[in-house]
Amino acid sequence: MTSATRPGEEANASGQASRRSETVVLFIVANQMFAVAADSVHEIRSTDSIAGAANEIEHPGVPKVRHTIERSGRTYYVVNAGMHFGLPVSRPALVMILRRFRAALLVDRIDRMAEISGVYPLPQAFAGDDRRWYRGLAYLDDSVIPVVEPRGFLTPGEFQQLDRAQSEAARRDPEAVQA
Amino acid sequence: MSSLGIIGEAARENSFVLLQIGHRRIALPAAQVAELAPPVRLHAFPHRTPLLAGVIVRRGRIVPVIDTEPVLGGKSPLSHRFYLIANRTIGGASELGAIPVNGECELVSGDMQPPAMDRPAYVAGTLTVGEESVDVLNLDAFSTGDSTPQDSEASR
Repeated sequence: MTSATRPGEEANASGQASRRSETVVLFIVANQMFAVAADSVHEIRSTDSIAGAANEIEHPGVPKVRHTIERSGRTYYVVNAGMHFGLPVSRPALVMILRRFRAALLVDRIDRMAEISGVYPLPQAFAGDDRRWYRGLAYLDDSVIPVVEPRGFLTPGEFQQLDRAQSEAARRDPEAVQA
Repeated sequence: MSSLGIIGEAARENSFVLLQIGHRRIALPAAQVAELAPPVRLHAFPHRTPLLAGVIVRRGRIVPVIDTEPVLGGKSPLSHRFYLIANRTIGGASELGAIPVNGECELVSGDMQPPAMDRPAYVAGTLTVGEESVDVLNLDAFSTGDSTPQDSEASR
C-alpha cells in the first residue's frame, strides 16, 4: 500500500487516526500479534526468571489469573493473555509487567518495538468485550494490529475479586504468601 | 461488472443493488452502497462481537467486515471475490461496513414490500425481480445482535 492510501489519510470522523506517533511493543500470543504502548510496559522478564517470585492464586471468577508476582513491593496479578483473548492454548515464555496497573501479562514472545504513526479508533461495529480490550488499531507493515488497552486486562470487579482472594489466602497461610 | 460508483450516483429511493452472497440473491438499497472493492486482505484478530469477520483497509479507511455466513449461510467456492462496502447506522452514527460477495452486482428498480411477520431482523423487506422474490438486507440489524444464527434461515 502506498502512503497515499494509508488508513486515516482521508477525512473520516469515525475512522480518523489520532496523529500522534508512538512507540509500541509488538508481542505475540498464539501466533496473533498485538501492540501495546511502550510506555505502558514496566518490565519484561522470562517466566523462568520470575518463577521463584510467583505465588499461586485461584479465583473461579477470574480463571485467566493463576499467579501473582511481587515487584518493587507491589503485587501484580499475572493475566494469561491467551485466555483473556480466547486464543488457543500456547506456551507463554515471557511476563510483561505493566506500568500503572497491578497487572502483568503472560505472552509467548516479543516480536519487536516499532513506531506507529497513530492509533485508529476501533470501528463502532465492534460491540463486545473487544471495546474494552483495545484502544484502537494500528496499521503497520501492511497489517492491521490491535493496540491493547492495558486497563482492559482486568476490570475493577476482577481486581476486587482477586484482592479478596489474595487477602483470604494471606489470612489462611500468611507465611506462604509472604514467601 | 458495472461501476458501483455510477450505480451510487444513479441511486434513487427505489433503486436496489442485487448481489450474490453464498448461493443466495440479496438486494441492498443502492443509496447505501459506497463501493465494490476487490478481494483485499482480511485482517482478523480476537474479538467478541458476533457476525464480524475482521477488517479490511480500503481507500484509507479501516472497514469492518460483516460475517454473513452464519445468518445467510451458503458458503461457496467463489466466496470473497469482492467486498461490497455500504453505509450502515450503529448507535446513531453512520459507519462503513463490508460484506463478502461472490457474484455480479446489478442495479434494479422496484418497490420494496414490507417483510412478513416471521422474517428475521436482517430482512428489511422483499423485492420482486422478474418472477423471483428477493430479500432486501437490513445491514443495521447485523450490528444490533438481532441477526443471530438462531433466527436465520441458514439454521432452519
